[in-house]
Amino acid sequence: MRPERPLPPPPPSQQTEEAAAGAPGMDAPTKLPDPVPSPILRHSSANSMRRSRSLRSLMADSPSVTFATNNLRSGSKAESTASSLESFRFHRDRSASGTPAGLGRVSTRRSASERASSQRDLHDEDARFVYINDAERTNAPPAGLPDNSIHTTKYTVLTFLPRNLYEQFHRVAYLYFLVLVALNMVPQLGVLSPAASVLPLAFVLGVTAVKDAYEDWRRHRSDKNENNRTASVLVGGVFVPKCWKEVQAGEVLRVVANETLPCDMVLLSTSDPTGVAYVQTINLDGESNLKTRYAKQETMPTPAEALAGVIKCERPNRNIYGFLATVDLDGRRAVSLGPSNIVLRGCEIKNTAWAIGVAVYTGRDTKVMLNSSGAPSKRSRLETHMNREVIMLAVVLFLLCAIVSLLAGIWLGHHSDELGVIPFFGKRDFSDKDDPDATYNWYGMGAEVAFTFMKSVITFQVMIPIALYISMEIVRVGQAFFMVQDKHMFDDKRQAKFQCRALNINEDLGQIKYVFSDKTGTLTENRMEFRCASVHGADFSDTAGSGGADDGHSVIGEDGVVLRPKTAVKTDPKLVALLKDGAGANADRARDFFLTLATCNTIVPIAVDDAAAAAAADPDPAAVTARLLEYQGESPDEQALVYAAAAYGYTLVERTSGHITVDVFGSRQRYDVLGLHEFDSDRKRMSVIIGCPDKSVKLFVKGADSSMFGVIDKTVNSDVVQSTEKHLHSYSSLGLRTLVIGMRELSQEEFQEWQMAYEKASTALLGRGNQLRNVAANIETNLHLLGATGIDDKLQDGVPEAIEKLREAGIKVWVLTGDKQETAISIGYSCKLLTRDMTQIVINSRSRDSCRKSLEDAIAMVNKYQSFSTDPQLRVPLALIIDGNSLVYIFDTDWEEKLFEIAIACDVVLCCRVAPLQKAGIVDLIKKRTSDMTLAIGDGANDVSMIQMADVGIGISGQEGRQAVMASDFAMGQFRFLVPLLLVHGHWNYQRMAYMILYNFYRNATFVFVLFWYVLYTGFTLTTAITEWSSVLYSVIYTAVPTIVVAILDKDLSRRTLLKYPQLYGPGQREENYNLRLFIFIMIDSVWQSLACFFIPYLAYRKSVIDGSSLGDLWTLSVVILVNIHLAMDVIRWNWITHVAIWGSIAATWICVVIIDSIPIMPGFWAIYKVMGTGLFWALLLVVTVVGMIPHFAAKAFSEYFIPSDIQIAREMKSQDFHDVTRPEVQMSTVSRA
Amino acid sequence: MSLPASESDSLASRRSKKPKYSKFTQQELPACKPLLTPGIVIGAFSLIGVIFVPIGLASLAASQNIVELIDRYDAECVSANDKVGFIQDTKTDKACTRKITVPKPMKGPIHIYYQLENFYQNHRRYVKSRNDKQLLYKDAASTITNCEPEATSEDGGAPIVPCGLIAWSLFNDTYSFSLNKKAVEVNKKNIAWDSDKNKKFGSDVFPSNFQKGGLIGGAKLNEKIPLSEQEDLIVWMRTAALPTFRKLYGRIESDIMASDEITVVIQNNYNTYSFGGTKALVLSTTSWIGGRNNFIGVAYVAIGGICLFLAMGFVILYVIKPRALGDPNYLSWNKENPDHPN
Repeated sequence: MRPERPLPPPPPSQQTEEAAAGAPGMDAPTKLPDPVPSPILRHSSANSMRRSRSLRSLMADSPSVTFATNNLRSGSKAESTASSLESFRFHRDRSASGTPAGLGRVSTRRSASERASSQRDLHDEDARFVYINDAERTNAPPAGLPDNSIHTTKYTVLTFLPRNLYEQFHRVAYLYFLVLVALNMVPQLGVLSPAASVLPLAFVLGVTAVKDAYEDWRRHRSDKNENNRTASVLVGGVFVPKCWKEVQAGEVLRVVANETLPCDMVLLSTSDPTGVAYVQTINLDGESNLKTRYAKQETMPTPAEALAGVIKCERPNRNIYGFLATVDLDGRRAVSLGPSNIVLRGCEIKNTAWAIGVAVYTGRDTKVMLNSSGAPSKRSRLETHMNREVIMLAVVLFLLCAIVSLLAGIWLGHHSDELGVIPFFGKRDFSDKDDPDATYNWYGMGAEVAFTFMKSVITFQVMIPIALYISMEIVRVGQAFFMVQDKHMFDDKRQAKFQCRALNINEDLGQIKYVFSDKTGTLTENRMEFRCASVHGADFSDTAGSGGADDGHSVIGEDGVVLRPKTAVKTDPKLVALLKDGAGANADRARDFFLTLATCNTIVPIAVDDAAAAAAADPDPAAVTARLLEYQGESPDEQALVYAAAAYGYTLVERTSGHITVDVFGSRQRYDVLGLHEFDSDRKRMSVIIGCPDKSVKLFVKGADSSMFGVIDKTVNSDVVQSTEKHLHSYSSLGLRTLVIGMRELSQEEFQEWQMAYEKASTALLGRGNQLRNVAANIETNLHLLGATGIDDKLQDGVPEAIEKLREAGIKVWVLTGDKQETAISIGYSCKLLTRDMTQIVINSRSRDSCRKSLEDAIAMVNKYQSFSTDPQLRVPLALIIDGNSLVYIFDTDWEEKLFEIAIACDVVLCCRVAPLQKAGIVDLIKKRTSDMTLAIGDGANDVSMIQMADVGIGISGQEGRQAVMASDFAMGQFRFLVPLLLVHGHWNYQRMAYMILYNFYRNATFVFVLFWYVLYTGFTLTTAITEWSSVLYSVIYTAVPTIVVAILDKDLSRRTLLKYPQLYGPGQREENYNLRLFIFIMIDSVWQSLACFFIPYLAYRKSVIDGSSLGDLWTLSVVILVNIHLAMDVIRWNWITHVAIWGSIAATWICVVIIDSIPIMPGFWAIYKVMGTGLFWALLLVVTVVGMIPHFAAKAFSEYFIPSDIQIAREMKSQDFHDVTRPEVQMSTVSRA
Repeated sequence: MSLPASESDSLASRRSKKPKYSKFTQQELPACKPLLTPGIVIGAFSLIGVIFVPIGLASLAASQNIVELIDRYDAECVSANDKVGFIQDTKTDKACTRKITVPKPMKGPIHIYYQLENFYQNHRRYVKSRNDKQLLYKDAASTITNCEPEATSEDGGAPIVPCGLIAWSLFNDTYSFSLNKKAVEVNKKNIAWDSDKNKKFGSDVFPSNFQKGGLIGGAKLNEKIPLSEQEDLIVWMRTAALPTFRKLYGRIESDIMASDEITVVIQNNYNTYSFGGTKALVLSTTSWIGGRNNFIGVAYVAIGGICLFLAMGFVILYVIKPRALGDPNYLSWNKENPDHPN
């Protein structure tokens, strides 16, 4: 919905020639251009049609310039043009500099190649031939086109197991465990029983496989539903219902209103005589406004069943905004088809009774299927850092194994003579009496040492925590659940829930250092509101007097139905009076002004039922009997202008292919649309040529001030021009988006001259876009200035407060916008990004040299201020304001380093007029040079590259379609939700996940060390007193649940405290919860606890009758109790779930041990019962726990009291002052409401 | 203002989109947030100290009351230089007489243990070399998995019951006690766990082919007695956790007076000489603490002492460097610029 996007074409008037021939007053031009690209076209694609190329490649070239670039807000969405991906080319303000846009440089090969490809012909070898009404021929070999069934499932019953396993084993850790399982299967190395060795890996794989299978089953079910829907297909001259899956390319389909398209089809005819069909593409790109599609006039007259011909179209591709084809009917000349002639699978036909088309892409070839890809997968920083510790653990593991095998070698060497007779070794095989040297299971010293090493790897394998990986996944799902459920992040207005699209980076939210924000739609609502008008030199901005819904609001009766514009606009009574009763030039100008607003646009008025309106938007119970007039269009600015015109009495009520009906203060007037020059980013204006009821022909133009003042005749009414310029300046200082309105009455000669040129241009085969642009530029001259408009793009709720909070939290907020500098600065002030005490460094260069100079000046300035800044009290906050032009030079050369230096010294960075790729470039500037985490937030297609570049990408699910959301990791409704997301959930997620990883390392290491100490007392032969089942269950059942529960539910601080003291976000940025120091501490603790756990029972039971199983049970229980108590000691919030998890785990362990010892066939039968009957067992359990925990407890008590962290103090504060709780709540609510 | 039905419906449906508020989903479950306040820290350490010291003293006392006599006899009972040769010679008389003086009165039952040192009953090759099915089920006599190298007899390959190294190496020294020239009866019943006798060793499984091979590992078994009653075997087969271990040999039910001299005649059959192990005979009374072992008592007293010491240390620290809990002035950002409280 951006002004700079190609505007929907005027309903092609050439069709009026046939359908509405002889319309009164219509000297209908015979050939108007084919419908030009529809609004849905957003990406210029390599395959886009030639006719749409002109526009879109232009926009690609100069994406930062828009419809109204010089207006305050207009540029905001400039970035979001088609070109988001390929443009790195910058445009210089032509009207200002007087030079052509040649300064831009093609910096990516893509844009160049795109131009080339958009002009290329469709070669036969790249083409697909679809024979209309002849599915057999179309699908005949060698074409081999797929049918229309879709299969989104990944697996079938047969391929599920191999394929799922193959995918899962992409994780290196799993391969490690698989190798160990395989090693364990070698008889000589069999440490664990096969079942026990497979179990952990099988468990982990199984859980994931079940999850995958369930998801796939659901996909399968929805596929089945989808495939069995029915469509009406032309068979033997009649339309018969047919399953979707049976539809074939080449078949002709009929779709009625509100039906969904089963495949991509080229429109042949529609219920509308001009061939228009309205489609809703919400399933495709999430945009809810209607788009217009056209059937070719060549195909319109022929009944569908009589139609024959061949469509030559490009091969299936995923560009939903491009389509390139020609249709050849009965061997006549080929007619070209473009993106506006195809409707895609998943779209819905609206406001059109029926549409008939021919299927060109079916099943998996449809664009929606080709585009269905999952969310991007990223790895969190914590997980990346974790690898370092995993490697360290691997080294420790290697050392342990090396020690064991070395000692085993020494022991064997010592006893080498006796091995044959040592009863517990049994080297001699006594079963073989023939061979006195026969040995049992003995392969020589070297082999024994090697085997011992491998066996010890198998025994100590859990040093690398296998369960950690799956625990992390479970925890992230849990954390995501709570983020999604959080009522503080639910957007009431849009009914939008928070979405977690990437499940891998929850914890990154707690470490963000830089926030890169888009402006329009992110900081602002992107809901335009007409605020003031300057008409013929007079400012009408006093709307204070009006307000009520009826005030100045036209209500029109048509066939007895009352139509009321959906949105009320406040009006200036003086202006209303002038329009109604005024006379003279001023009043005429004012009337033309609003006529321009009502006509010079591409808005489609649609009457909607109130109930529907209530469901769709703001309910207005007063208007039950009336119908609401809704203006469908893609540019919010245009909508705002048309609603404003309606409020001032010029209500657009009907738009058909050839004319517009405007209700002027109750009388309906019909205006013929003779031509329309849609917006392009070079001209930065659009114009319509209107045949008025009084037979005069008028040209209405609206556009950016920079472009408009170049074409306005300044000789007449120079005072009006001056005062309008003054008004424009004051509007933009208020942060309004401005547009300048102009008009000219065309003489008959002028009109005919234009008409011929227009016709010639629009039928041109080559360079049609250029020619059309020239025609437009030729006619748009010597305009009379009518006035200017100021449109308000309101700040979203709570944006200033949110920015304030983020800054307090030590997060640097950078705003990257396509707006011009003044707009950006004024928004900067209004959202408290900029403050009055800041020193602004402005880099705004027109040339390479001046850019270098300003950079050097800026560095000098930064250094000067930094030399003052030894005392933080005297530090002057700096703000850097830089524009896209300068960035071109900077990124072009090696001055990036300088820019970085300046930028990080500044408190605020504001980049204006930046192109989408530059946004990504700026994110990259920080990412490359610092290790700080970056977050990008935006709502439009122009933010996609930035969102993908940043460590964390957030999409605002707003008015701008869903591309940003599709590319994002998280999506939410409002900018202010960043505060709870980062400061609360991010903080929690990071803290919990960091603790969980450390704890998992510690927990498994403790267990391994206990095993290791015992191995030293078994002749280094890797016997474990702990039963193998307990070692297998240890990380799966005994200790897994509490850490997961704690990682999902524990909160170190309450939401209130975190919001009250944003500085508490700092620990995450400084990586205080997960670092090498903490890892070493917890590993030391782990060694200590394993020593306590092993040696206290060892010393107590030395020289006693204790058997292996009993001692093993004691060790199992004590190590489980130790690690669970350790966790319990670190839990901050104890709710009943935590209690159940922790104490339940200990109980579960006990139960498992008892069960294992109740199986007679197990060697340890009944041991637990026996050992529990002795007092010594209980005494040992108690003393082991206490000795193990004393260091941790003492260290914790000491550090929390004597070297407290901020978090600790905040915790204490919370429990100290209970009365204080209401105050932060109020604060929070101001954030959410303000 | 009353809403039309459709509208209130739509409102309802809209409401349903909003996440349902509950204490759980908002992570607001009632919770207890304990803090390590000085009181709790000092209290915890003191409590541990106060509990541990008495327990330690009590177990020390219990341990002290146990009378334990240990007599290592492996060296003295072999006169020959070639100890291995001596022990392996089946023809020599291996009887050996030891005299033990009782320092304190011992109340019955007095447990008789044999203690082996450096005997790795927990050696991996050893612990695995058994088959629990064969021990329990009569039909599983030929189930000899894991029993190598003592699975089948050398002649004919018949399965050995009980198979495996553990059973094969059954301890076979015997002791006969006499007090003041009067033989003392040794009760060898109920030395094994009841659970083992009932559930682990079959009452219908009889030894066969046992110790018939070229090298005799240890004791032979009476083939007439089912495994469930071969209590020495059952005790032996509950393998020890540590390389120095004791096993119950039997009990003397009567009391022994102080300064009595016990004469023990040992049949010194078991070969610990080939791998440098030691053998000892142990007589001990028991208490709740098990055998005589001061370690647990000392540990408890020491830990209790350390905790009391830590409690005191924390008291001193808290006194000399007190800090008001939850004072915002300690927040790092408040410390940096004290004039600008946030």
